[in-house]
Amino acid sequence: MTVRDFISIPAGNLWRMKLRTILTVAGIVIAIAAFVSMVSFGTGTQENVDKQFNELGLLTTMQVFPQHRPNEPQSFGEPKLDLTALSRFERIPGVLLVYPYDPFVVHVRIGDTTLESRAQSLSHAAMQTKLFSQIRAGKIFEGDSSRSALISGELLKNAGIDNAESVIGKQLIVSMQVSTIDSALRHLLVDKGESIIDRVRRIQLDSLLNDDNYLRTTLRTEANEAVRRFVSGFLNARRTVSDTLTICGVVESERMGRMRMEPVIIPFKTGERFTTSGFSGNPADLFTAMSSGNLFQSADDRSGKSFSQVTINFDPHVFYATIKDSIEAQGFRTFSFAAEFDQIQKAFVYLDLALGAVGLLALLTASLGIVNTMAMSLLERKREIGIFKSLGADESEIRLLFLAESGTIGLIGSSFGIISGWIITRIVTIIAHIYMRRQGIPEVELFSLPIWLVLVALAVGTGVAVLAGLYPASRAARVDPVEALRND
Amino acid sequence: MTSEPWLRAVDLCRFYKRGPQTVHALAGVTLDVGRGEFLGIVGASGSGKSTLLNLLAGLDTPTSGFVQIGDRRLSVMSRKELSRYRACQVGMIFQSFNLIAHYTALQNVETALVFNDVPQKERRTAALAILGQLGLADRVSHRPADLSGGEQQRVAVARAIVKKPSILFADEPTGNLDYENSMQIAELLRQLNHSGLTVVMVTHNLEMANAYSHRIARMQYGKMTGDDEGMPQKGPRT
Repeated sequence: MTVRDFISIPAGNLWRMKLRTILTVAGIVIAIAAFVSMVSFGTGTQENVDKQFNELGLLTTMQVFPQHRPNEPQSFGEPKLDLTALSRFERIPGVLLVYPYDPFVVHVRIGDTTLESRAQSLSHAAMQTKLFSQIRAGKIFEGDSSRSALISGELLKNAGIDNAESVIGKQLIVSMQVSTIDSALRHLLVDKGESIIDRVRRIQLDSLLNDDNYLRTTLRTEANEAVRRFVSGFLNARRTVSDTLTICGVVESERMGRMRMEPVIIPFKTGERFTTSGFSGNPADLFTAMSSGNLFQSADDRSGKSFSQVTINFDPHVFYATIKDSIEAQGFRTFSFAAEFDQIQKAFVYLDLALGAVGLLALLTASLGIVNTMAMSLLERKREIGIFKSLGADESEIRLLFLAESGTIGLIGSSFGIISGWIITRIVTIIAHIYMRRQGIPEVELFSLPIWLVLVALAVGTGVAVLAGLYPASRAARVDPVEALRND
Repeated sequence: MTSEPWLRAVDLCRFYKRGPQTVHALAGVTLDVGRGEFLGIVGASGSGKSTLLNLLAGLDTPTSGFVQIGDRRLSVMSRKELSRYRACQVGMIFQSFNLIAHYTALQNVETALVFNDVPQKERRTAALAILGQLGLADRVSHRPADLSGGEQQRVAVARAIVKKPSILFADEPTGNLDYENSMQIAELLRQLNHSGLTVVMVTHNLEMANAYSHRIARMQYGKMTGDDEGMPQKGPRT
């Protein structure tokens, strides 16, 4: 028998039994369409994540944190995440850029709207990394001393502005309430017209030396008074630092997991006006300064300033673990998306497998239809098989003819199933895009139908059909020609 | 009987299990067929004629005994070799024609060459030629249901001989035909035998067997009961 015979004879049989063939093929079409659309969804989601990782350069970015957790006190001897540490990081081979995350609370005024927000200052080099590449309107600032700022889409939304282009070139007034240790110290010495000398004079020295009870009471009272004066001076003697900048761009998003981006981004040098003016007035900042030993440091002296987070950009050709190990060896915690990426990839494999399994279940059900069709065909064609055998067909040829028939059902079903699956994904995508547009969510492709999925669907559909045909084919091969040709 | 037997059946037995009973379809049949011979096997229904024919054609395997073609026993052949034997050396025609109902006359004849490694184009040429020779040129695209019984059997003969077999087994070839068509088919078999084809015909029609075969083997209850000379003047032996 030639290959053409193995195609034409089964095709002829299927064509003869059109209705039965169509119904059997329909089962495979539905199953493969379900398989393709489900796996296509998993693949599409994975591609979206991969795309975002790559577009934002997350795989070449690492976050560094102090050893202690944000809500834990700094432990004794723990290395500080300060400028000295940053310069050590810069010297690690493969590290391209190091910049700290140093946010501060501000009030911003856009047009007639004033909002409380958070800001950070970033260098022009940092702004040129992929992380900040998603600009909705305008562009990033020209240099570190530029008199411009970037704002986030979220801030714009809070200000009630829909059109990002409309704010480009507009004024942005940034102001900040700062407290200084100097005013706190001044209040410590003189508060409400009473100096610390006046208080000392009121203390009875004899009683202090001879009366333990007096000593304890006096020390506690004076210590409390000193802290009150200091904190009162810190919190109540604030001054306003403000600057008027031009909005040069609107960035897409504020926050991507641990990759923090504040709603207002100011050029590094321009931002020093805010970052070196003093404490933001937030009591938490005061405690941070106290615990890090920087409380009485001069405000414009950044050498002792420590950061809660530092971002490192590294060469894509360098293995992330090398840099991670080097930084962790210095006593810091790190977070790298590259490390998470492997886990995410694994999760997607499991997701694809789970989605594919649902489709395969449908395919297994459809395969029962093939078994039924082929078994019926066997019963109807026993005499034909007997004739073939009397003409010299051997068992393997009969088996192959039946397998070719079930395989053809699978191949046709898979082909139409892939097309149907693709049509389903297109329809769902159109509906989803309409919904996303209405919700103001950026449109993303939910499904992906790569060539490997087409080939896998074809192979799985045809393979399952061939497997389903194995039993009827083997029975057909064993048909006794004498029995089949006997006169009824 | 020819001087040198070509197809031999030696002490052939074929038993079937039918529930608790064992049916002795053939009980020790020995038979020789010479090359170019026209052998008629006659016997009543159930005498084992068709069983013997199936064993000689390699469609069935004996319970004991053996069939030998030339110097090869069928019993030592693999399934593949047996298929090749049926595909290349054996032609078969049946009482009920056994044509494939949904194939045309041409397709039915072509099918005989499918398992014979004959290229597709040559199949059609050979099938058309043989159908033409048998007077069925205008019936090639007809399905069996559209043909008369005689035409159907001629298509079956065409299918049997298109592959140029060494031996033709005919199992009651005229059993379903009227007298006129029966004579035509019998005459056709005689002509084929004249052209050198060995023919083994099973029939219960003793008169026809006498008229067309060189030799007649009689069967009863699964055994050979006699071996008579037929009418040698009607066909040459080789």
